[in-house]
Amino acid sequence: MKKIIAMSAVALAVSSGVQADVRINGFANLVGGITSSDDSLYGYDDNVSFSPESLFAIQVSGDINERMTATGQLVARGEDDYDVAFEWAYLTFQATDDTSISAGRLRMPLFRYSASLDVGYSYHWVVAPQSVYNVPFNNIDGVRVDFNGYSDDLEYTFQLTGGKVENDFTLAGQSARLQINNVIVGTAEFTYLNWKFRGVAARGDVTFDIPALEPAFAQLGQIDSGLQSLLEANDDSGLFYGASIEYDAFDWFVAAEFTGAEIEDSFYPDETNFYVTAGLRSGKWTPFITYEKSDLNDGPKFVDRIAGFPAPLQVPLTQLVIGIQQPAISENDTTSVGVRYDYDTNVALKVDVSKYSDDLDESQDATLVRFAVNYVF
Amino acid sequence: MKVLHFIAKGAVLLILSWQAIAETVVIVHPSNSAQIDAKQVQRIFLGKEKKFSDGAESIPVNQIADSSVRSDFDTTVLGRSSSQVSAYWSKLVFTGKGVPPKEVTNDAEVLALVAKNPSAIGYVDAASVDSSVKVVPLD
Repeated sequence: MKKIIAMSAVALAVSSGVQADVRINGFANLVGGITSSDDSLYGYDDNVSFSPESLFAIQVSGDINERMTATGQLVARGEDDYDVAFEWAYLTFQATDDTSISAGRLRMPLFRYSASLDVGYSYHWVVAPQSVYNVPFNNIDGVRVDFNGYSDDLEYTFQLTGGKVENDFTLAGQSARLQINNVIVGTAEFTYLNWKFRGVAARGDVTFDIPALEPAFAQLGQIDSGLQSLLEANDDSGLFYGASIEYDAFDWFVAAEFTGAEIEDSFYPDETNFYVTAGLRSGKWTPFITYEKSDLNDGPKFVDRIAGFPAPLQVPLTQLVIGIQQPAISENDTTSVGVRYDYDTNVALKVDVSKYSDDLDESQDATLVRFAVNYVF
Repeated sequence: MKVLHFIAKGAVLLILSWQAIAETVVIVHPSNSAQIDAKQVQRIFLGKEKKFSDGAESIPVNQIADSSVRSDFDTTVLGRSSSQVSAYWSKLVFTGKGVPPKEVTNDAEVLALVAKNPSAIGYVDAASVDSSVKVVPLD
């Protein structure tokens, strides 16, 4: 019976030439992990846990007419107690064969794997490298224009995205809120034979609302309101940039991605992150290795400004200026080895071991073992 | 014992020669006169191209993932394993950038669809081809 329905659906679609159907797809990542004793990493501790990185999602899309498609994605994340949220909801207008315009809530194309970041099945890692991919803003309310083309063996994609980002996040264990207005993201991607190159640049007006830092900012403001507004991220211009390169020979691949961000007039440290990854594809097995590094340790900013203040104020000012910046400062690197096994054309099994080393506080070093089942339908 | 060994050898030879004979060919409607090469078939089946070279709409018809003709097509024409093709589509599907080709279960269904739709393009084992469709010589 199922087959008959499937067959007639195909016959219908092929004969009419217009696919007026509603498509339902889904994906699931069941990820479990356990750290070495008394350690914690990415939300895992030394008891097996499934909640930090597991998720289940349903995507519904339907063609409104020949040129317009509506897409909605419902995601239940373990870290949010599997509460279901509409992470994406947008309309796409296919303006020409190579240009489309999407509007609504959509994924911000910051990274090489931004678009399919939640679809574990689409990459070899258990979870995309945290040093680069762990940002508190992945979705944007706005508009994205996609342009694709090719000439001979060169394929190219350009994307221009504009809009607004709002999200809750955690800084040094404290909940906080982030708002970025007037976001503009430009990306360019080129595929030439086995090579893939990508570049991205973005800017936005950033506001951090961090209750934990409010008292310190208030104290700073009593001494000098200029320094307070300098350190606060309040509608301050921020920059994001990144590049990636990949060589995929099908039997093996190697890829690297680099990103950086800065919000000059704020307490937030300039950051640079990268990873290098390589893997072999041998039948159903893909063993891989990844080295990643995250650096938000560029030395405290604005310390030179303190010298201009009267001597008695310099000590408390130094404490405040450095103290406010401290929670965001970090520097660490991680090496992971793992393997992906293609159990079926829509199911992958994975396991990896990560060794995390904190360059500022050795006591935070940890070893994490994770295993995953990725499913798409 | 020797006999068994001989039979085993014969069976292996048989399998090898059968694999050598089994050849996947790309087919279109007999009225389709567009120029089609391997690169275009690849682009059409990977959702990168929605038209034939003459500007007419192209609708790829795929076979189900566990058929041998599909895995042969994926490896020889698309240049990747069926799992990789599936991972490729999962990226496009879940970013709203594409819809994978419809899948049917065997050569006969591909032939039936291609025979009656000038826009359709499919692939079958060479042995299944009949006069209702046109074989596209790749390169």
